[in-house]
Amino acid sequence: MNTIKTQPLAKNKPQEWLQKNLFSTWYNSLITVILLAIIFWGFYGFFGWATTVAEWEVIKVNLPLFMVGRYPKDQYWRIWLIFGIINSLAGFSWGIIGRTAAKLFTRPVLVCLGVISVIVLLIPVAIPDKLLLVLMVGLVAGNAWVGKQLGNKISTLGRWLSLAWFMAFLVILWLMLGGLGIKSVSTNDWGGLMLTILMAVVSIFLSFPLGLLLALGRQSTLPVIKLFSIGYIEIIRGLPLISILFMGQIMIPLFLPEGMRPDRVLRAILGLTLFSSAYLAENVRGGLQSVPRGQIEAAKALGLNTPLVLTLIVLPQALKVAIPSIVGQFISLFQDTTLLAIVGLVELLGISRSILAQPQFLGDYAEVYLFNGILFWLICYSMSMGSRQLEKKLNTSHK
Amino acid sequence: MKQIQEPKTQTEIDSDVGIIATDVHKWYGNNFHVLRGVSLTVKRGEVVVIMGPSGSGKSTFIRTFNALEEFQKGSIIVDGINLCHDLKKIETIRREVGMVFQQFNLFPHLTVLQNVTLSPIWVRRWPKAKAEEIAMQLLERVGILEQAQKFPGQLSGGQQQRVAIARALAMQPKIMLFDEPTSALDPEMVREVLDVMQNLARSGMTMVVVTHEVGFAREVADRIVLMADGLLVEEGTPEEFFQNPKEERTRQFLSQIL
Repeated sequence: MNTIKTQPLAKNKPQEWLQKNLFSTWYNSLITVILLAIIFWGFYGFFGWATTVAEWEVIKVNLPLFMVGRYPKDQYWRIWLIFGIINSLAGFSWGIIGRTAAKLFTRPVLVCLGVISVIVLLIPVAIPDKLLLVLMVGLVAGNAWVGKQLGNKISTLGRWLSLAWFMAFLVILWLMLGGLGIKSVSTNDWGGLMLTILMAVVSIFLSFPLGLLLALGRQSTLPVIKLFSIGYIEIIRGLPLISILFMGQIMIPLFLPEGMRPDRVLRAILGLTLFSSAYLAENVRGGLQSVPRGQIEAAKALGLNTPLVLTLIVLPQALKVAIPSIVGQFISLFQDTTLLAIVGLVELLGISRSILAQPQFLGDYAEVYLFNGILFWLICYSMSMGSRQLEKKLNTSHK
Repeated sequence: MKQIQEPKTQTEIDSDVGIIATDVHKWYGNNFHVLRGVSLTVKRGEVVVIMGPSGSGKSTFIRTFNALEEFQKGSIIVDGINLCHDLKKIETIRREVGMVFQQFNLFPHLTVLQNVTLSPIWVRRWPKAKAEEIAMQLLERVGILEQAQKFPGQLSGGQQQRVAIARALAMQPKIMLFDEPTSALDPEMVREVLDVMQNLARSGMTMVVVTHEVGFAREVADRIVLMADGLLVEEGTPEEFFQNPKEERTRQFLSQIL
């Protein structure tokens, strides 16, 4: 009783927080000490290794390979241009979407931009490349500002964003492939992070509508469509992705004559899309089932026909519910692209394996795979942050 | 002259009858006989209140009028159109018949204004400006004007139900169906919804109302119908119905609710 009485009310003193949460009883203190020792030992070991033993040279020398694979060096300007287009359009979209916000560059955003600029400056590349990287950050910020100004002036601009992204995609594809006046680059020379992102993004955008159709097909009252959808979903979900990718890379060329064989990258995208759409269909189905019957009845009672009920009432609500699991599926699709290294594509993991085969960097596994891990984590984490923002934006239940 | 004469008589017949339901039967599955031959005629401008114990099939019956429920036998003619399996005809009827549900069923992802303008814009193909103008008039009529930009989740139950009424009225329906519109409301919000309905009835709207609100039935109804066990037991003016009911079943029901 005495201890309770004498305990002061202020809870924000660190000493008391420690006492309450970490050292409340003798066994809690023991656990705390042991865990702290393990954590310290782990960090000590890691930093010791990272600063003394690790040979980061392998990353520094091969940075272009990690990023774009064996893309011809004299054509790097095209990659920079693509990067610039993406950053500009991303900034512009951000500005238009956030046009109603009081302030686009709030303090956390500014801090974020600052941190990114510093990190960019720390990347060990030649000075012109560094300047180009900083320019990229500038492009995002500048276009965001322009987008906000223009978005406020022309309110219908937001509708053209998806078209703009689609056109940009076509331009990017042209820049990567070449032809029509610029030197053509075979897809065999595509690689690295660029190839990973390209395959993931294209597969995501193709598998989304396909998954949506399959989910709707599964709910359909027409037996043929329903059976086909269920059959497709269940067959694909019963197969491991790697077997589908092998089929795409090895079996399709056997069936088709020489001239008709689709490109390797295309076959990879096809495999990823077919696989991912089956899983997406199940995620969307979960969302569809969460829409109450009353919503459909109310929409029908207003005279809306079935396609309108679906597009205006059911899908917006179903997709909102399904966003977390859909984004989860996209994240795992992004990670699954690494399996393509096994069938011989030189995406990020594939190019890492060939870098590890360079005689002067034999055995630098830890450095290379750690670098891979960091890149993957950065991208996946931004995807999940984006999904949380989207959920917040779409939440209309108790604003 | 002949050519003009003929359609005139047709519209004359149409113009004084809103709904004719004849011997409507419905089974759920094979053995549950919910509607066992119900006939009802609703004249234009008439307010018919359907009362009855729960499970008597009154909600099911009212939902057959806009084909939210199918029926297996009998016929229903709404606004001169015979209800059958033809989807086009069903959609035509639904455009002319508004419905208000017990659970409001507002669209949670749309604002109040978007809820009300959705159907006029997409089904009636009105320009957005016209739809919004009419929607604002309706929202003012039901007393929700200042909430137009909010989402349904931010409104009280009574406000949501009034929005639902405005949403149904936005299609400028000829007939309004109310399926227990106050049953899901907190007691203090029942009045505000009933007031809106009463005003609507005074404006001459044809209404079919399933409700347990005796006060509303007494004041507003032109005719009260009692349903029990899938049958229409008694119908009469509020006076006849409440003062001297003919059927024993009605007396029993009234003794339970009064």
